[in-house]
Amino acid sequence: MNRSKDLDTIAPDDEVIVSKPIKKSTKEVSPKKNPEIKENLVKEDLTQKIYNILGHTKSPFSAFLVRPKVLTFAERDENEEIFLAVRPHWINNLSWITVSFLMLFVPLFFKYLTFLNFFPSQYQFVAILFWYLITFVYAFEKFLSWYFNLFLITNERVIDIDFNNLLNKHFAEADISMIQDVSSSVKGVFGTFFNFGDVLIQTASEINQINFEKVPNPEKIIKLLKELRDLEEIKNRGGNNHE
Amino acid sequence: MNNFLNINGLENYFFIITKVFFISCSFLYLIFALIVVKQVTSMSKSVTDKFNFILIVFSYLHLAFSVILVLTMFGL
Repeated sequence: MNRSKDLDTIAPDDEVIVSKPIKKSTKEVSPKKNPEIKENLVKEDLTQKIYNILGHTKSPFSAFLVRPKVLTFAERDENEEIFLAVRPHWINNLSWITVSFLMLFVPLFFKYLTFLNFFPSQYQFVAILFWYLITFVYAFEKFLSWYFNLFLITNERVIDIDFNNLLNKHFAEADISMIQDVSSSVKGVFGTFFNFGDVLIQTASEINQINFEKVPNPEKIIKLLKELRDLEEIKNRGGNNHE
Repeated sequence: MNNFLNINGLENYFFIITKVFFISCSFLYLIFALIVVKQVTSMSKSVTDKFNFILIVFSYLHLAFSVILVLTMFGL
C-alpha cells in the first residue's frame, strides 16, 4: 500500500491515490508502417535539400526560379513537380537592350539626311512611326525569345523548351533515370564574372543530349541533378536506403 | 531635285509610287503583327507564367499601332 509522505495534510495511514497516466486512444503510426507518411517525409526532406542546394528565388523575373508556383507548361503531367526553371542569364540580353536603346535615337538624325526633306511632313511622320514599331518589335521578339527559352528540372525529367524567331518551337525531354553524364562549362570574362555557362546532359534516351545554354549557377544545377539521380537510384533499388 | 521632278509632272508619279510602296510595306507589317499576336498567344499556352497576360496585351498594342500605320498610309 502506498503511504503519503506529506504528514501535515494527510493522516499517515491514508491511502494515496495515484492517478494512472491516461493512455492515448489514437495510436501513433510509425512512418515505416505507413507508406503515405513515409512518402511525405521523403518529399519534405527532398524539398529542404533542394532549397539547401539552390536557395530561394526573390524575383519572378529571375533567370533561376526555384520551385516556381505559377509557372507551368503544356506537356506537364498531373503529379509532376517543377523543381527548377532556368532561363539564360539576363546579362545575355545586354546586347539587344543596347541596340534597342540606340535605335530609339536614330530618328533624331533623320533631319541631317537632306533627301528626306524632299518628302512632306506626313511622310516623315509615318516613317518615324514605322521606325519605332520596328524598334519595338525587335526588342519584343528578343525578350520573348529569352523569356520562353526555358530549361526545366522536374521530379520526373529534364526539359528544354525553345522558341526560335517566334515561329519555331523546340521541345526536348529526358527522364531523370535516363541521365548518364552531366558536364558544365563556364567560358569567357562575362561567364566567369556573372557565373553562367552551359550544362550538357548526356542521356540514354532517343535525344542523346540536352544542352542548357548560358544558364546561371551551373554547379548548383549539377548538384541538383546528382541528388535527383541518387534518389531515382534509391527508388529503383526498393526505397529503403533513403533514411 | 524638286525642279527635276516637276518637269513633265514626274513629282506626282514619284509620290504615287512612294505611297503604293509604303502601303504595301504597312500591309506586310500588319500581317507580321498578326503573326506576333498568334505566336505570343500560342507561347503563352505552351508555357504559362505570371506575366503572360502583359505580353499578350503588348502584342495586341503592337497590332493596334500597325492598324494605325496602315490607316495613316491611306490618309497620305
